[in-house]
Amino acid sequence: MSVHGVIKKVEEEKKNDLKMRRLKNFFIKLVFFIILFLLWSILASIEYWSNFLFPQPKEIFITLWQGLRDGTFIFAIYASMKRLIIGYFISLIIGLPLGLCLGRINWLNETIGSLTLGLQALPSICWLPLAVLWFGLNEMAIIFVVIMGSVLAIALSVRDGVTSISPIFLKAARVLGANNLKLYTHVLIPATLPSILTGARLGWTFAWRSLMAAELLYVSTGLGSILMMGRELHDMSMVISTMFVIIGIGLFFDRFLFGKFEHYISIRWGTK
Amino acid sequence: MPKIDLINVNKLYIGKNGIVHALNDINLTIEDGEFLCIVGPSGCGKSTFLNVIAGLYPPDEGQIFVDDMPVKGPGTDRVLMFQEPALFPWLNVLQNVAFGLRMAGLLKEESYERARALLRIVKLSKFENSWIHELSGGMKQRVALARALALDPNILLMDEPFAALDAQTRDMLHEELELLWLETGKTIIFVTHNVREAVRLGSRVILMTARDGKIKKEYKIELPRPRHIEDTELIKIAKIIRDDLREEVLKISEEVI
Ligand SMILES: Nc1ncnc2c1ncn2[C@@H]1O[C@H](COP(=O)(O)OP(=O)(O)OP(=O)(O)O)[C@@H](O)[C@H]1O
Ligand SMILES: [Mg+2]
Repeated sequence: MSVHGVIKKVEEEKKNDLKMRRLKNFFIKLVFFIILFLLWSILASIEYWSNFLFPQPKEIFITLWQGLRDGTFIFAIYASMKRLIIGYFISLIIGLPLGLCLGRINWLNETIGSLTLGLQALPSICWLPLAVLWFGLNEMAIIFVVIMGSVLAIALSVRDGVTSISPIFLKAARVLGANNLKLYTHVLIPATLPSILTGARLGWTFAWRSLMAAELLYVSTGLGSILMMGRELHDMSMVISTMFVIIGIGLFFDRFLFGKFEHYISIRWGTK
Repeated sequence: MPKIDLINVNKLYIGKNGIVHALNDINLTIEDGEFLCIVGPSGCGKSTFLNVIAGLYPPDEGQIFVDDMPVKGPGTDRVLMFQEPALFPWLNVLQNVAFGLRMAGLLKEESYERARALLRIVKLSKFENSWIHELSGGMKQRVALARALALDPNILLMDEPFAALDAQTRDMLHEELELLWLETGKTIIFVTHNVREAVRLGSRVILMTARDGKIKKEYKIELPRPRHIEDTELIKIAKIIRDDLREEVLKISEEVI
């Protein structure tokens, strides 16, 4: 066989190997969830609990489908995502530079850094009463809670990233003539990228949780409020299907968006 | 003409196991165009020596002059090649080699052109688009060498640069480095564990003491060039130095026992 042929063969085998492993894992997952689903169905059919408290899975799907068709979910998702995205981006805009500065400037870290750490101990939903008094019962109050939920986590994670950069990178950069501003743009920021990403992901998760907490408490649109509405209407399948939507959105961003990117970066940066 | 002057240079570290006198009253003159090799047991202060000349940290006492100017910090007239490759994982091979040139304000194309020429010297042209994590340890060291050479510094400070390479590649790079030195007349300070490598390359070899950060002995190497690592004369000289080095290494092991 020619060298080229061998390479082709090895490549092919490797690819097949990977495919087989993925397929196997996928099946394990699939079987697990099917069992879960069946268990649920059986438990629901023996009606030990009333159907009102423990609905059939198919009812959930029907509610989901209806909610998507009549737009209830779409509107709710839109309202929630709007708040989330606005709040999250403000958090990034404040949190990233703040974290970089905290990591590099000692007196700032001793002052603002300690303050940030202190405030981080407060669950973000505790900002809601204050926000309502400040801004009134409106979007601003919710967005404020979202920001307070994520900005601190982002800043602290970036700060820790900056302070734990391997000193060898900074030394090498200085030897090669990087100074001041160029040291920031060409070395510090790229070297911190894995932590920046971790911070962004953490910030997203916190923003999402803060938003749901705030919406549950009082807002009239959004996913949190239809969850509450389900409770008020004693509509369990509404409650559960909304929970599914919330899980779905959370998973989508966390696993697929951030997860994929983080995976790539951790390999490139050799942090994994 | 002296290129680098060290006057009463002292450097101490205060660590968990007490004070380490890494450089102890070092007085040394390095001539312009000299190829100085430094050998010594592990932990004797070789890397520290290069770091203070590079200007990465100031000595605790004493002064260092380069071209009669006191060293105040790093400068691109003296590039240090670190013991570990220290390549930037966010840049590919070509961009790593061009990094110093980009910092110096060269345009992208121009700096890449020069970086390519250097990758040819270290025989890594094929890998210019590779990411750092895709290289072997020896390849990383060669990229680091190219990156240091890219700035064309007058002084090249090399900290065990070839330790991770196989014998063949190392022989080849010895030749390249010797040639480069003969052609350009750069001043090179080269740290190594390998005594034969030191004799193969250096016009002077300095042996450092094991514990107290001093220079134990100096050897002028006046063998004709180009040299080869298997030359009998070279091996003879290396043996003399190795015996002196062994004495120092034994000192440490006695302490440990
Ligand atoms: N940052 C530091 N803090 C404390 N001690 C240090 C520090 N850097 C080096 N040392 C100590 O100083 C001594 C000299 O270190 P140096 O790195 O210069 O040794 P070296 O000769 O390069 O060793 P090797 O051949 O193993 O690379 C060692 O004993 C080491 O423990
Ligand atoms: Mg060393």
